[in-house]
Amino acid sequence: MKIFDPTSRRTGPATLQLAPRPASLQGLRLGLVDNRKINAAAILEKVADRLAARHGTRVTVRDVKRSPSHEIDAKAIAALKRDADLVISGVGD
Amino acid sequence: MSETEQVGDPAGLIEAYYDAGWTDGLPVVPPSDASVAAMLASAGVEADEVVGEIHGRNAVVTGESLAINAVMAGCRPEYAPVVVAAVKSLCHPDFAYHGPASSTGGSAMVLIVSGPIARELEVNSGHNAFGQGHRANATIGRAVRLIMMNALNTKPGFLDRATFGNPGKYTFCFAEREDTPWEPFHVSRGFRADESTLTLYASNSLCQVYNQLAATPEAILLCYADALYNLGSPNVYGFNQSLVVMGFEHADVMRASGWSRRDVQAFLVQHCRRRVADLKRAARLPGELVAEDETTWRHGFESPDDLLIVCAGGAGSWSAVLPGWGKKWTRAITTRI
Repeated sequence: MKIFDPTSRRTGPATLQLAPRPASLQGLRLGLVDNRKINAAAILEKVADRLAARHGTRVTVRDVKRSPSHEIDAKAIAALKRDADLVISGVGD
Repeated sequence: MSETEQVGDPAGLIEAYYDAGWTDGLPVVPPSDASVAAMLASAGVEADEVVGEIHGRNAVVTGESLAINAVMAGCRPEYAPVVVAAVKSLCHPDFAYHGPASSTGGSAMVLIVSGPIARELEVNSGHNAFGQGHRANATIGRAVRLIMMNALNTKPGFLDRATFGNPGKYTFCFAEREDTPWEPFHVSRGFRADESTLTLYASNSLCQVYNQLAATPEAILLCYADALYNLGSPNVYGFNQSLVVMGFEHADVMRASGWSRRDVQAFLVQHCRRRVADLKRAARLPGELVAEDETTWRHGFESPDDLLIVCAGGAGSWSAVLPGWGKKWTRAITTRI
């Protein structure tokens, strides 16, 4: 008798390549991804204000997901990769 | 095949699946080459075929993983096409897997089988439709949860973050009764009566509703509306779709009164509501209480289409309401079998 593995061994990469971490926040371009949870937008804007005041960052991309449950769409990912150095998302409730 | 090691003792074999973290807490049926091959053949998919994919999680369900999990769940091979339809529904973009699978709300994946296949496979639609005792109901639903855990990596405490979960997370599959007052459920969703379908629906909970005195639709449906919109309902800002499973004694009252499915849906949209004052007193809405809150109503549903009405169950003056997970963040998905 033998054991059968019920997991699907993924065809894609097992690990993802992370973007390089910035050494400093000074003057970075900021992307905000609102997942549409309650208060998420308000918290993101507050964080962006604080970062701008302390580190001179500026918001260059704003994306609002279809819902917290839906994936971020490919267009938004492309815009974030192209136009942002730092991306913030999170749950606000 | 994907065997990883040789084990001799059958009891030890079952323990090996526990040790690997591949069970739902109950013992699984250890697969064999023959049982997996039979499941694959009945499913009509190749072992390396991708049956479904959750892009954002880098996760897929292959034909092989579907077959292995279905065997482990105890499915007969002829159940496999239903499991395939369930996986396709699960991976449909509009189902939006992430929330229903991972939310603290801990939703059950409710599987509704409609059309001729329900009778062929003996999927129970009558007495104890949600309960134990029927292999098709028990094992098809269990296969879907095992696939979620094993193939889609949705394990409790990891990518399944349910606060409580609910017993329907082990399995939740039933069939629609054939003697409904209306067109079959799957016909109402755009399919032909002679087709068979699987509808996947994410539900936070199940509330049975009793009314043995009512002789009018309104009286019965007011009880449903009340159960659907209690003060602790998670989605006071606007419900997602919700499922109503109407017992046949209640359905007979609808039939005798000439009420259509649409009439039922419209009545529930109108009457599933709470006063803003109630919601504020319970701190379900923010803000100070003002005089007009006592006469301002907040409705749970925007459209009759938000209410899915299915008939099932045995004798008794019971029905059940199953509020949906999320706030318009997922939709029930019906797939042809």
